[in-house]
Amino acid sequence: MNFALAAVLLPLLAAVLALCWRRQAARLVWLSTLFSLLLALAALWQVVTFGPASMQLGGWQTGLAIRWQLNELSALLLLMTALIHSLVASYSLSQWRDAGLSADFWPLSALLQSALSSLFLSVDLFNWYVTLELLGLAAVALVLLSGKKALQAAMRYLLLSLAASLCYLLGVALLYGHYGWLDVPQLAVAISEEPVDHRLALWLITAGLMLKAALWPLHVWLPAAHAAAPAPVSALLSALVVKGPLFMLYMIWSQLAGPELAVTGSWLFLLTGSMALVVGGWSALRTPYAKVMVAYSTVAQLGYGLLALGLMLHLTDPAFTQALFIFVLAHALAKTSTFLAVGEMQLRLGGKRLSTFRGASQTMPLAMFAVAVAGGSLIGLPPSGGFVAKWQLLLPLWQHSQLWWLLPVILAGTLLSAAYIFRLVVLAFNRAKPVRPDFAPALLPQWLALLPALLVWMLAFASGSLLSWLGG
Amino acid sequence: MSGDFWFDALLGLLLLLLALATILARQLAAAVMLYVVFGLMLALAWARLGAADLALAEAAIGAGLTGALLFSALARQPKSLAPAQGAGRVERLPALLLCSAISAVLGWTLWQLPLQPQHSQLPAALEQLGSSGTEHLVTAVLLNFRAWDTLLELLVLLLALLGTRLVAAPEPAALQHWPLARQWSKRLLPLLVLVAFFVLWRGATAPGGAFQAGALLAAALVVLRLNGQLPALRFDFWWVRALILAGVLAFLLAGLLSLWLNWQPEQAAQWLRWPLPLAKGLILLIELSATLAIGLTLTLLVVGERKELGA
Repeated sequence: MNFALAAVLLPLLAAVLALCWRRQAARLVWLSTLFSLLLALAALWQVVTFGPASMQLGGWQTGLAIRWQLNELSALLLLMTALIHSLVASYSLSQWRDAGLSADFWPLSALLQSALSSLFLSVDLFNWYVTLELLGLAAVALVLLSGKKALQAAMRYLLLSLAASLCYLLGVALLYGHYGWLDVPQLAVAISEEPVDHRLALWLITAGLMLKAALWPLHVWLPAAHAAAPAPVSALLSALVVKGPLFMLYMIWSQLAGPELAVTGSWLFLLTGSMALVVGGWSALRTPYAKVMVAYSTVAQLGYGLLALGLMLHLTDPAFTQALFIFVLAHALAKTSTFLAVGEMQLRLGGKRLSTFRGASQTMPLAMFAVAVAGGSLIGLPPSGGFVAKWQLLLPLWQHSQLWWLLPVILAGTLLSAAYIFRLVVLAFNRAKPVRPDFAPALLPQWLALLPALLVWMLAFASGSLLSWLGG
Repeated sequence: MSGDFWFDALLGLLLLLLALATILARQLAAAVMLYVVFGLMLALAWARLGAADLALAEAAIGAGLTGALLFSALARQPKSLAPAQGAGRVERLPALLLCSAISAVLGWTLWQLPLQPQHSQLPAALEQLGSSGTEHLVTAVLLNFRAWDTLLELLVLLLALLGTRLVAAPEPAALQHWPLARQWSKRLLPLLVLVAFFVLWRGATAPGGAFQAGALLAAALVVLRLNGQLPALRFDFWWVRALILAGVLAFLLAGLLSLWLNWQPEQAAQWLRWPLPLAKGLILLIELSATLAIGLTLTLLVVGERKELGA
């Protein structure tokens, strides 16, 4: 637990120091992300060696205090947060002078990391609300770093995010008003002891979280906001920020919904997940802009998360929990790589449209390789992390013939993601009239964009331990 | 029918009327003024319900601060106080439907609300009040039992300021300094500062606390700034940043100090656990720094970083 606590506090301290001492902000925050990566690794090691731990903040009894829970799942998500942040920080440090990234990026991203780490550790409904607010405001401020052109997207994001927060808060207030517990495991006990009709509260919470996580059909704000932001910010938003509410949805539905309500809820998640896969993939295929395509790909990919969540609730099979979180990890890595590489190529080739990437395999081979490799995981090619997640999703599905209609949906989603990735790759191999870079591409940022893509392909080697950690 | 009943009924009716008037007002400035009055009446309603802390917060933040923020936004509008552009019938219909749906859900919720909660944390909280370092329950919850939430809330305020700075807002129309206003703000300042610190100090035993005190302090600073009686406050000044971060810094330092004091090598660390003899002092230190930080943050949110006026 000590390591996890340090992994939350270190970025917080770094953010405060970076605001005071602005000249060293970049280096301070970069160092803090590296150290918090080590701390998160140590926290995972601690959990695996000594078992799960929990901490009552302030040392008060459960009920008065906010509780943090460190288990394999939260340790893995903590590690994911620290890893993506350190990758993105390294990338930003390597090219921020070229990209004109504002110095405000550093304290904001450090605050984002601290808020997200705290969210993954907490099991308290109200503390989750505060971390959600923090997450939303940090994300909006980060989108605003793009300047005036991002203003409208950021404003829309802010307003919808606030509406979602209020929706969530109303649900929490209803639950707290009746049961008097904010601690999720305790609340689960209280609900199972004296079940009342708490559907309304749960639906309100679900609507709020689905809006925050940009799950179809509440995804309308995501493509504009993620595409308008600077590349490192888009990577953080797509890879991490939407995963926070998804994690909360998983925690709340798996613990607070009774068996009957869980089946009802599972239909919602299965249907919206299927729609997200198809509609998101179709929109990604149709858009002429590169970053909008990657952003729509996030909408589509979150459909797999929804499907895994729905199946877990429907069939109560732990294999789907594993699928959900391996998907979360794989998508985080793959999307970081895609956004960083696409951002880097846009910067050097000078254009937002997909047609800018003509001949990119010749002019910027490393970045293009990163997109293709990460795309392989998004499609689900073996042996990438995306493949492991999809395999874990499909394997138990064969045994449940009543949900056969999910197979063509997943197939359609896979084909659509293959189509939009190949659309980009085919353009990049069109070497007849390549778009020349505006200035010589630097190698280091391209390598840093490639790194997460390589990591996601190596995820398959770690899948044995991942499956056993997430098995519980 | 007692006088209390009539008072409450009148208050409820007034709230409804004020809400309607705010929505239907044709001039934005009038809508904002009505909204401020609505906030004050709402504070009165909270006070009638026995929630003095909420009443103070509503009056200071809901009515005062939000009103000031709305006025500051109005002052930055390109055309000064143009009447609100009336939306057509077609645009109004979805909004009406959405609002009716929300009202229906809220009404149904209210109907469903149980009168007696199944379980309450109140007895446990009252039992632990003695060892929390403060005598007022709300302060104990905010700064001891759930101090982590409060620390994060301070960060939310900080993020609001950081985000607002990134929006290049237009400069507000130049103001003329009215001599009467300048005199008035001079007379008001000591009173506001006094009340702010009284509210802060009282927070240990009775309703009050850092947020309300910070809002009062901000009111004093905003009035001075708008009358051109205060030098420019800019985020680029190191002392402004230090004061804005004071609340978070004090919180973190107090947390690290108690981490060090409570340190036992064989046990897991206890974050934000104030050692009992120091609890009152630490809470007061945090509240004082948070008041200054909140005051300055809110001031910057309202008046922004504009250049010297009238000079």
